[in-house]
Amino acid sequence: MTTILDVERIGPNAMVLHMGPQHPATHGILRLDLETEGEVITKVVPYIGYLHRCFEKHAESMGWQMVIPYTDRMDYVAAIHMELGYCLAVEKLARIEPPERVQYIRVIVAELQRIASHLLAIGTYGLDIGSVTPFFHAFREREKILDLLEELTGARLLYNYVRIGGVAFDLPDGWLDKVRRFLDQFEKAWDELNKILTYNSVFIERTARIGVIPVEVAIAYGLTGPNLRGSGVRWDLRKEEPCLVYDRCEFDVPVGTGQYGPLGSAWDRYYVRVQEMAESAKIVRQAIEQMPKGEAGDVQKAIPRVVRPPEGDIYFQYEAARGEIGYYIVSDGSPVPYRVKARSPCFCHISALPEIGPGAMIADAVALVGSLDIVMGEVDR
Amino acid sequence: MDVRVDVLGPYVRIAPTALREAARILRHDPDLDFDFLRCLSGVDYIKQNEVEVVYHLFSFRHRHRITLKVRVPRDDPRVPTVSDIWRTAEWHERETYDLLGVVFEGHPDLRRILLPEDWEGYPLRKDYQVQAYYHDIPVPYDIRQDFEKGIWVFEDEIHAADSIPPSPEAQS
Amino acid sequence: MKYWWYRFYYTTRGILWPLWIGLVNLFRRPVTIQYPHEKPRLFPRSRMMLYNDIDNCIGCLQCARVCPVDCIAIETVKADKDLGVTNTGHKKKLYVTIFDIDEAKCCYCNLCTEVCPTECLVMTPNFEGSVYDRYDLVLRFAKITPEERAEILRKAGGKTAGVTGILARKT
Repeated sequence: MTTILDVERIGPNAMVLHMGPQHPATHGILRLDLETEGEVITKVVPYIGYLHRCFEKHAESMGWQMVIPYTDRMDYVAAIHMELGYCLAVEKLARIEPPERVQYIRVIVAELQRIASHLLAIGTYGLDIGSVTPFFHAFREREKILDLLEELTGARLLYNYVRIGGVAFDLPDGWLDKVRRFLDQFEKAWDELNKILTYNSVFIERTARIGVIPVEVAIAYGLTGPNLRGSGVRWDLRKEEPCLVYDRCEFDVPVGTGQYGPLGSAWDRYYVRVQEMAESAKIVRQAIEQMPKGEAGDVQKAIPRVVRPPEGDIYFQYEAARGEIGYYIVSDGSPVPYRVKARSPCFCHISALPEIGPGAMIADAVALVGSLDIVMGEVDR
Repeated sequence: MDVRVDVLGPYVRIAPTALREAARILRHDPDLDFDFLRCLSGVDYIKQNEVEVVYHLFSFRHRHRITLKVRVPRDDPRVPTVSDIWRTAEWHERETYDLLGVVFEGHPDLRRILLPEDWEGYPLRKDYQVQAYYHDIPVPYDIRQDFEKGIWVFEDEIHAADSIPPSPEAQS
Repeated sequence: MKYWWYRFYYTTRGILWPLWIGLVNLFRRPVTIQYPHEKPRLFPRSRMMLYNDIDNCIGCLQCARVCPVDCIAIETVKADKDLGVTNTGHKKKLYVTIFDIDEAKCCYCNLCTEVCPTECLVMTPNFEGSVYDRYDLVLRFAKITPEERAEILRKAGGKTAGVTGILARKT
């Protein structure tokens, strides 16, 4: 076993710095052992597992529907994506086709959730760097989305809204108008956020040259989502392997351009998220336009009382806010899943830290971890 | 080798001894070029007395995919590592080792990742029994033992603290 | 020199824009609410603490079975007399001797209220559930006292119709 505290191996000028587990900038409970020479990090060893709560073991002992509240708690700031990925996988396995209206509702909810999640990522990233004001601006907007989602689903963070074969509730009266009003004022808030943070020269100086992830490293370590796109790969599962009704919506896939520094820097990843919020708003608008009128009870029609997928296994992936959430599900034909494996994007993002960390300054370690936008609930599952 | 394409998830099942050679060809052949290991998962098939390791591969250049499956006996599951071919496998293999006890031969740093170093057993095995004590703490933790030890305060005792007569200053 | 002016312009702009936006926001209406003095506006679907209308409960155990965290504990005994019908017209055939919900464990997922056939288990808008003792969060809905329960169980020969969940009890 190679631990970092190997006294004979580390040099006389080296120092070992423990960052975390209870560090405000690690977005959860992550421990990093940093081996440093002066100010420069020479080695990073991440330790995870502090939030492990046996999701995969729990899932093997309960019905297919009952797993959904547990998937919520994986990525607790983008819970809709987690349950959507799971439900889509089970639907494919059980060959259930949800009605069209359900698919539109899912797209609207998922994209609103993506905006909320990216707002949190951007706001807390500003906080990591040391600018406090954008955090409040981002959270004000996020709060409006959470209010919308609370009116629809009944909960603010852990929704349990998407069900296998449908969604739990139909849209309340006038909800779509509220979403439209929110999107109208969100454009202004988006501009404001850009003025405060994105094009702030202090912020650019701080982030545009650190945490560079080259394309080869990004692909080798299985980075997905905004972190991969920040390195310049135009890869979005909503575009490339469309599920739901994403193929009927027009949107761009923003990629990092290396505008203020080398390609794949922390600023590029940040800016991909900022642009993605605008793209998500575009998708929501189109989905509202195209959505067919429905009757009461339409959305729950396809939800089976007892889910019993036939024997088999499936791997299904969905573009969550942080990357590709994949579920490998094995069914043996019983009302209980045989195996549910969640491939979480942040797990892979953290595994790349030993590669991209060395060479950075200690002060940049926080900016580096923040730019990967990790949620520890998803890493540890 | 066993190829199935008629099922929902088509796969290729190969022998564990052939895995490294197959992985190298899949990764480095320019016509195949599977550069993205999507998911590496282990499944415990207790009835067949086997553990299966599943590799989902994808190619960014050619946009095609393949699923590799490897079955090893449950008593002594040993699979050659692919962590030098796909770097992302390094942590996924550690996770599979941690939860299912599959030993990946040639892995540079094979130790537990999610559970503590001194945990006993592999939780995702179907016949897993939780250990009785972990560092003298009963597993699973039952709050009722705190009452017996007196760590937890009963509600009556909280109210007993309120019944102390007030000081003379407060009375006057 | 030109580069210097370029840097000067962008740095100044980067500092002045946030200051200006901060100044403008100073005169906006605050979006926060002063919570303990001012209650948040709740939506009709908001999911807060559970409540069971025991008069309408038929003891079908469906809520306890579907609960992902096993926080509902129910014990039922076969009735020896007519207990009447519920509001929804279901015939009550069982005494519900124990109906405990551990709100400390509850994950507010709404699965139990969806399966309830008589609509007696509901999520109330009450979200202020802080207590000093965590065992006070075990809500006991059964109207049958422990003495009556012992009597009922004695009459039934100690045989229950159904028990589910972990019966979280003090002592």
